[in-house]
Amino acid sequence: MNRFEWTDAATVHEAISQLNGRAVVKAGGVDLLDRLKEGLEAPQRLVNIRNIRGLDRIEEGKDGLRIGPLVTLARLSEDKLVLERYTALAQAAGRAATPQIRNMATAGGNLLQRPRCWYFRQEEFHCRRKGGERCFALDGENQYHAIFDNQLCAIVHPSALAVPLMAFGARVVLTGSKGAREVELERFFVTPEQDIMRENIIAPDELITEIKVPRLQPATRSFYIKQGEKESFDWPVADVCAVLQTKGNVCLKASIVLGAAAPVPWRASKAEASLAGKVINEQSAREAARLSMEGATPLAQNRYKLAVFEAIVRRAILRQASS
Amino acid sequence: MSKHDEKEKQDAGAFGHVTRRGFLKGAGLTAAGAAIMENGLLGAKDAAAAEAEPVVVGPGRVPVTLRVNGTVQKVQVEPRTTLAEALRFELGLTGTKVVCDRGSCSACTVWLDSTPVCSCMTLAVDVGARKITTIEGLAQSEELHPVQEAFIEYDAMQCGFCTPGMIMSCAALLNHKANPTLDDVKQATSGNLCRCGTYPKVFEATLAAAKATRKGGE
Amino acid sequence: MALQQSQQQKPSAAEAKTANTSIPNAARNPSNDEPNKKRNATRREVLPAGIVGTEGMNTVEREIPADEPPALKVNSSLAVIGRSTPRLDGRLKVTGKARYTADVRLPGMLFAQVVTSRYPHARIRSIDTSLAERAPGVRAVYVLDRVLGNAELRDKSKELPAKFPIVRFAGQPIAAVAATTQAEADDAARLFKVEYEPLPFVVDEDEARKKDAPLVFPGAADQGGTAGGGGGPQGVTQEGNVRGPVKSGPRGRPAGDINRGFAEAEVTVEGEFRTQVQTHSALETHGVVADWKEDGLTVYASTQGTSSVRDEFAAIFKLKKSQVRVVTEFMGGGFGAKFGAGNVGVIAAQLSKKAGAPVRLMLTRKDEHLSVGNRPSSIQKLRVGAKRDGTLTAIHLFSYGTAGTGTGAGAGGPAQNMYKCPNILTEEADVFTHAGPAAAFRAPGHPQGCFALEQTIDELAEKLGIDPVALRDRIDESPARREERRLGAERIGWSRRRRAGSDTGPVKRGLGVAQSIWYRFVNMDSACEVRVTQDGSVEILSGVQDIGGGIRTVLAQVVAEELGLKASDITVRIGDTAYPAGPASGGSVTTGSITPAARNAAFKVKQQFLEEVASALGTMPEYLKLGGGQVAVFDRNPNWSDGDRQGRSYKAAPIKSLSFRQAASRLKTEQIAARASRSDDYEKSRATYGGVQFAEVAVDTETGVIKVERVVAVHDCGRPMNPLTVESQINGGVLQGISYALYEDRILDRNTGLMVNPNLEQYKIVGSRETPRIEAILIEEYTGRSSTDAGGIGEPATIPTAAAVANAVYNATGVRVREMPMTPARVLAALQSARGKGGVRS
Repeated sequence: MNRFEWTDAATVHEAISQLNGRAVVKAGGVDLLDRLKEGLEAPQRLVNIRNIRGLDRIEEGKDGLRIGPLVTLARLSEDKLVLERYTALAQAAGRAATPQIRNMATAGGNLLQRPRCWYFRQEEFHCRRKGGERCFALDGENQYHAIFDNQLCAIVHPSALAVPLMAFGARVVLTGSKGAREVELERFFVTPEQDIMRENIIAPDELITEIKVPRLQPATRSFYIKQGEKESFDWPVADVCAVLQTKGNVCLKASIVLGAAAPVPWRASKAEASLAGKVINEQSAREAARLSMEGATPLAQNRYKLAVFEAIVRRAILRQASS
Repeated sequence: MSKHDEKEKQDAGAFGHVTRRGFLKGAGLTAAGAAIMENGLLGAKDAAAAEAEPVVVGPGRVPVTLRVNGTVQKVQVEPRTTLAEALRFELGLTGTKVVCDRGSCSACTVWLDSTPVCSCMTLAVDVGARKITTIEGLAQSEELHPVQEAFIEYDAMQCGFCTPGMIMSCAALLNHKANPTLDDVKQATSGNLCRCGTYPKVFEATLAAAKATRKGGE
Repeated sequence: MALQQSQQQKPSAAEAKTANTSIPNAARNPSNDEPNKKRNATRREVLPAGIVGTEGMNTVEREIPADEPPALKVNSSLAVIGRSTPRLDGRLKVTGKARYTADVRLPGMLFAQVVTSRYPHARIRSIDTSLAERAPGVRAVYVLDRVLGNAELRDKSKELPAKFPIVRFAGQPIAAVAATTQAEADDAARLFKVEYEPLPFVVDEDEARKKDAPLVFPGAADQGGTAGGGGGPQGVTQEGNVRGPVKSGPRGRPAGDINRGFAEAEVTVEGEFRTQVQTHSALETHGVVADWKEDGLTVYASTQGTSSVRDEFAAIFKLKKSQVRVVTEFMGGGFGAKFGAGNVGVIAAQLSKKAGAPVRLMLTRKDEHLSVGNRPSSIQKLRVGAKRDGTLTAIHLFSYGTAGTGTGAGAGGPAQNMYKCPNILTEEADVFTHAGPAAAFRAPGHPQGCFALEQTIDELAEKLGIDPVALRDRIDESPARREERRLGAERIGWSRRRRAGSDTGPVKRGLGVAQSIWYRFVNMDSACEVRVTQDGSVEILSGVQDIGGGIRTVLAQVVAEELGLKASDITVRIGDTAYPAGPASGGSVTTGSITPAARNAAFKVKQQFLEEVASALGTMPEYLKLGGGQVAVFDRNPNWSDGDRQGRSYKAAPIKSLSFRQAASRLKTEQIAARASRSDDYEKSRATYGGVQFAEVAVDTETGVIKVERVVAVHDCGRPMNPLTVESQINGGVLQGISYALYEDRILDRNTGLMVNPNLEQYKIVGSRETPRIEAILIEEYTGRSSTDAGGIGEPATIPTAAAVANAVYNATGVRVREMPMTPARVLAALQSARGKGGVRS
């Protein structure tokens, strides 16, 4: 880890006024410290935002749920309101990482963490995402890599929360020196084709200051499934969030987002469309699951992920029918 | 309410609500020219001044005050120094182990207030006013914590290198769940790696400690 | 010392050396403690023999050294030995006060960091240390002139001379630096300028076997028998990167004629099995604090062998052994790779010498994965022939595997030794690759070998239509395993086992069984001193180290039993070469080697104690009896209870009783002490240990995830000394086995040769949520081989687990997974391939 300066920001303004390429934000610090320890980055200054007041609230208003970026994963996973109404979000938060890390890691940090690709995470590999010439995963060890949109860079997006948040149609408020802007999460993340050096559109001098989850339609339920190789600390081989609005056992609207599938949280649009107006049953769930994998371009070692995704997409859909 | 919570409340009273200044005091950061008062808040003038000019410390060593196991400790660390390093190398509290150094194994678990965190992924300068409890501070003087007692009785250790972190996880569980299930214990230790494979006895010991604690409390 | 060498550790491959059941090295260096005449004096002694609770339980008469204690009764008749005894050091461990090497802090101590190669194969053109030397806090730098651990060319002239050691794997240490803080050392390590000439490399064992593969060594190479463990037999023929195959069998040589055996076979089964490279991943990394002084070197080491570490330091630095002191108070896990000084030790000592200050070097987690040992891979082609009744007619194993730049990838042990078969041939080859050298790892070769053998026996049973447990009853001659099968089958409910693939839903459950074989080794360099002081305190001293198995507590139990005290009354001082020589803890030898020495020393000191106390009390030593912390004084020998000449039968009654402490106060001098070394086993014929494990699994056939739900592990270890800690070791063996079976994999990038998962996040190790219900059952087996008749458990407990899980997976799904780790990817592929053949219902 390089030597750096440290400052505690008391306000959002104080933080963003210092941010530039060389001074970086530190919230929970889990992902940042990992990158620093791996020698991937060497910032001159860490701007600590962990103590900025007011950024750690969970509130439900008329428009829906507002989550402060400093809310920890642990709190999110145990919050009554979130558990009852936005179940999948609590599930995703509660299944991420380890209990200790969930006590430290923040919602904002989870959305902004850098990829866990084992090539990206090692200093020795100067990959495209670090300005290099190649993606080492494409013809290398790619069993945990992307099965969609993986031609240039095969990372999977690492955020567990992004999966349910995107399925809920969440937005993020970004506050920078030029003011605040609100962006749909769907447009927040960027694909390798758009910009291979980054995973989202946040500017160096911006903070996520709020995460907004729109009010759910009546009779809407959500479910999140993470499938790792292990249940104890492990990254997902596949994860999925299905948000279904139903009338009786008929699906009015489905929102299905896959994690660990692509460089961005991946919306399974065809699967969603196939469910609309259909009775939710084994057959329709199976069909949606099959469609969720349509267009996948698996690499040499990760074809098995298709089967895993199909299984958990189907199960996530059927869980709502049974609940 | 558990004993721990009660203690928590009292301590919170002693230190008061954390404000910007309070936080700085808590963090114990002494920037050049910015004297830190021992008690209470700084005057409004100082607060305003602080607002205008962020206090930047490092990259060299800075004085930091840590509240560890009921004591107040002053150390000089670089901002990049982790809490685990500060505890082990500056304060000689080597019960806290560093194994993966990346938050993957929880061997370095300490409590900040009552929350278990990885001290290898926490910077010492970032602890602030939060009270640190390490494995050395778990026992009340000579009397071991029930989880510690049970770990010995049930042989919930082999080489013992994961043991401090494991105990901090299990004791934290009992603090907020007096009557845990086997699944709760597995969940609480799901970040703790034990290479010797002692989990079955960790589960047994923790459930037994919970039982003993409940009996003791009746 | 070759204690952990896989090839040598198997009786089959080293028959000549292990025929006397002693560690070869030790056998060459018999203890000199005893005067020669005394050593030859013997007496006959009747000892318990057989398995408690079975018809075979009996006694055996042995010729034993005259000065050794009388036979120890079976555990149920003892007060301390055999009773579950909490660890004496438990309090230190649970309070964080136990001092591990990583915790040692000496005045003026410096911190070191290593510079390693980022190329798997390279010549180093130059190393510029000047920037590092000028960096803040730096006190010494060191450039390695020799790398330990790698195999070395037999004929050095086959390779162009090089100024610096040739880099043969990524992560090979090149240089090091010591500074006043760890951060400064880390910073300075980044300032070394190393100019490489990268060379072609190969990291895949199949690629490495090809004719045109880049060569790891440009000629035949052997792994030096360093104390670091690892290494196969020397002088084996080598072609390209392939060394061997070495042909072997049950007694070192192939048995019978496999061609005839297969011709006689009525049923033949065969298959190819693949196992991965596993890293030891001890939680405390390899590390030392080396303190070089004019008059000698003191090393605090995270090691399994204080004595083997001392020996290597003395050899490398040309010091007398008496000038090197190695201390291991507590150590954070050792599974076979922590025996020598190693590069870590040499670097720290060199830096300490240069800087004139103690130097601490603890490896990073990454270096721990890369450079200090691993379990070699294996690709095994196994063929077994049998008669219709199950009688085996032939076993043929052809295997190759990679130990990286080391040797010792054999996997033939189980095939050679587990079952009765007249015709056995194993052919084991090492394939050099540009990867970190292997080291011994908990039962070298055996978990791999069992994965193949025990699945093949399972297949054979199915083909013959015989229950797998019943088939083993026919072909396995071990009475211990027979009893273990009986107990285990009953406990798990083996009768519930259904036809393979019976479940119709997506999650399928099944039961599997597999067996373990391991061997009795004794390390003769096992000595203890027991002291009794006038204040009644008792100490035992030995160089032996407690690596987590609990020997500290067992030694106290042994002494306490002999002196009629409680284990907690005994102070145990171990883990220091300043004490009498202790055995290195490898090969599951610790308890079997050191406890007889402890008992013999305690017995000796007891005799002196009784003599002196009797004399002070004006009575005869035979009239005194120790027990319950008391010294009871009788009016005659209390052991004569069969009556007097007149035929009157009576029991001796104590006249009075003193506390042990009161009695000790009557000693003539402040302290009495006795030392004993290990004597040879009373019976030298070959002995094995084993176990039988039953696993119950659930396989999600849609996601490919295997969940082990329950394991029943029934084991023998001679006389169980402390069932509590033996159970812990069994739990650990099972869990490491599950971890190996399902999760762990050292993954090297095929294009760069770098390990992609050198951490504890993507190198996946079993965690709490994957821990099944484990039921450990111990049988008590006596063989009358030493004054404690104790054996070992560490290795046998991990050998069969992966195979038992694999057999359970087959029983669940009807599909065999022949490759580890059995990840979702592999399970799904196996299911898919079976579906293609119409073999699985879903």
